[in-house]
Amino acid sequence: MEDLLIRIEKRNDVPTTLYFFTPFIAIILTIIGGGIIFYALGFNPVEALKFYFITPISNLYGFSELLLKATPLCLIAIGLSFCFKSNNWNIGAEGQLTFGAIVGGGVALLFYNQDGFYILPLIIIAGAIGGMIFALIPAILKTYFNTNEILVSLMLVYVSKLILDYLVVGPWSNPEGFNFPETRQFSDSSRMPLLFEGLRIHAGIFIALAAVLVSWFVLYKTYLGFQIKVSGLSLKTAKYAGFKGKTMILIVFMISGACAGLAGVGEITGPIGQLHRMISPDYGFTAIIVAFLGRLNPFGIIFASLVVSLTYLGAETAQIFLQIPQYTGQVFQGMILFFLLASDYLLFFKIKFQNFSKNELRH
Amino acid sequence: MATDLRISNISKIYPGCVANDNVSLQFKSGKIYALLGENGAGKSTLVKILSGVINPDNGEVFLNEKNLKLSSPLDAKKNKIGMVFQHFNLFETLSVFENLSIDATEDNKSLRVRINKILKKYNFNIDLDVPVLNLSAGQKQKVEIIRCLLRSPKVLIMDEPTSVLTEQETEELFISLKKFCDEGILIIYITHKLKEVLSLCDEVAVMRKGKVVSVSQTQNEKVETLANKMVGQKLAKIKKKINISKNKDEIFKVKHLNFYSDDPFETNLVNLNFSVKKGECLGIAGISGNGQNELFQILSGEIITPNTSIIFRNKEIAKLNPKQRREYLMAFSPEDRISQAAVPELKIYENVALNNFKSSNFFEKGLVNERKIKEHSKKILSDFSVNTDNVELKSQFLSGGNLQKLILGRELITAPELLICYNPTWGLDVGAINYIHETLIKINDQEKSTILISTDTEELLKLSDRIAVIYKGKLSNIMPSDEVTPEKLGILMGGGSID
Repeated sequence: MEDLLIRIEKRNDVPTTLYFFTPFIAIILTIIGGGIIFYALGFNPVEALKFYFITPISNLYGFSELLLKATPLCLIAIGLSFCFKSNNWNIGAEGQLTFGAIVGGGVALLFYNQDGFYILPLIIIAGAIGGMIFALIPAILKTYFNTNEILVSLMLVYVSKLILDYLVVGPWSNPEGFNFPETRQFSDSSRMPLLFEGLRIHAGIFIALAAVLVSWFVLYKTYLGFQIKVSGLSLKTAKYAGFKGKTMILIVFMISGACAGLAGVGEITGPIGQLHRMISPDYGFTAIIVAFLGRLNPFGIIFASLVVSLTYLGAETAQIFLQIPQYTGQVFQGMILFFLLASDYLLFFKIKFQNFSKNELRH
Repeated sequence: MATDLRISNISKIYPGCVANDNVSLQFKSGKIYALLGENGAGKSTLVKILSGVINPDNGEVFLNEKNLKLSSPLDAKKNKIGMVFQHFNLFETLSVFENLSIDATEDNKSLRVRINKILKKYNFNIDLDVPVLNLSAGQKQKVEIIRCLLRSPKVLIMDEPTSVLTEQETEELFISLKKFCDEGILIIYITHKLKEVLSLCDEVAVMRKGKVVSVSQTQNEKVETLANKMVGQKLAKIKKKINISKNKDEIFKVKHLNFYSDDPFETNLVNLNFSVKKGECLGIAGISGNGQNELFQILSGEIITPNTSIIFRNKEIAKLNPKQRREYLMAFSPEDRISQAAVPELKIYENVALNNFKSSNFFEKGLVNERKIKEHSKKILSDFSVNTDNVELKSQFLSGGNLQKLILGRELITAPELLICYNPTWGLDVGAINYIHETLIKINDQEKSTILISTDTEELLKLSDRIAVIYKGKLSNIMPSDEVTPEKLGILMGGGSID
């Protein structure tokens, strides 16, 4: 170890209030950072930020869009929090979402010309199971073959997207669709009920809210939650306590996959109404940011999903009014994560500047 | 030019422990010096001071009568003091050459020439362009040595260099060290292995409890005399009444315990067989790193080894995990109390819930019964005199002694038939140590058994009814502890044999 000028030391006790406060600091820094970027691009930063963060939710329609996009983010992030809390790095939620949508969508297509109250629940269950099965692949490979779940779950995203691609251009494509890469429209019985006339927000939001409550209960009030917590803090202790490590890995991946699958069916039975190539603007990846911004806490995740959802909306508005690409949304999401990690670093570690002694100045 | 290294009145005090107490030593080139001592004798502290990693509270270091200011490892390097640590500081994915060029000041071409010269001179067989991860432990050590040699050192310090080496590699290392010595490099060899001292070194300094207790020529020493000096004539103040009766039931019986690992920092265990009687304390002595970790984890069920038989209260438990073993009334107190036996970020009552035995009802139908856990925790805190009654306190705020009391309390409140503990008192103050020793004796008085794995010979002699020594993964014969002397233990712990 060389003697450095800067020394990093772990802080022993981080106050809980500060721990939940830093995400706000990250958001404020993101807004400032965004302003600087807009300024550099030649826009008036205040005006541009207004287009980005205020205009989108200044009317009822905008507000419902905010909730619409927050719904899948919240659901997926809730599922991911089970994995992340127990030291399992599932970053393939996008794939689990896609596969859930494929399975759920397949059921919807089976019933494309039928009506019945039972159809939608069937689709929802199928979607959850689809996501669960897809998440089990990295989990089983991890537990029984020691593979790295980060790589496997990430690569499976592309597998599921290719399967979807194949289905919508091949066997499942709409026979009356002029070879467009999309399936038939789902029947009305396969669609999520809308909450308000004229707005796109649908009943899927209740699934997300239910997931929040259930996950809070499971994480904080059950033996499974206790095991997840201990494994996340110290795998050594979990082993010493005799927790069934393998079973737990399978369970958290299944929960996480089911949530992502539900988010997938929520999209296709909600605003989209059919299967096509673009069923998700990377909700599965963005939800990773949501999970961490929400501190892996169910209620924190609600808040975080709204904030991140706003970056999607803001990007669309900015594209319309400022003629800048909507990918700026990803820039903002990236900044949130960056500032969150940076402030966390300062939260958990002290940086000490060492005094130069003459002795050290010699060289 | 001859080198003369003198350490004068070095002291280093840590809270609660004097690591170096007025240490003075003198070394001259042309000889290999051994620094011998048990765990915690102060060898490592002294070496870290010499290599600039830590600063002494008092005292000075002179190299050829020049007073050295060693405030950083860089200073040690500049003053031509080279150091090979027990754990290597190499980048596994970089090649040997890249590792060596990291802190070099010359260009790659001339560096390669110089390295090749060293390789040839000392007959080192290492390919410079393979990644370090492909090397054996012995080769990695050679890379570290080359790194030192590139700076043409005057002093070379080797810290427990043979702990990861095979017999063959050890021999090669000794040949090289003798060559370096002939070339005028002063070599300080830190070890606790008595035979190595006798076969390699010219002079030996023995440290005990931070002090140098003897300096002598190795030719005047024998394994026995060195062992004696290393362990010291430790007389226990409270000694347990030894309790060996032949007709007691064997409650715990281990057969054919073998463990093999690819990891060079783990120790393989070779065919261990032993048993524990009712109400007995079986002590397992040894210098740390001789397989105690692995043994503890196998006994607790964290590692399951094939073909091992462990019979506990007439049931085969070798395939059970720790939680299942606890249900059969076993209890475990691991060495790492801070991050294994407990989680520092968790509250006391949550840490208590880690030992979730069936009758505890901590988790009824999968739900947390917080009230039950807290009541139970309160009882542990008061029964085992932990100096807080706040079960909501995070366990990181407990002192070592209180944390250990909490852990022992958690394990013992289930009235286990067998407690397995590993270094239960390391780093604790005298008061806590006495409390824990009394608790362990009490368990035996209640006809419950204990297995005490410890690196502290004094503790073992005080508490055990029978003692065995583990050395390089092999267990010695089990001896009644009234026949065991510190000297005998020292010899066995250092790899010697008594007969």
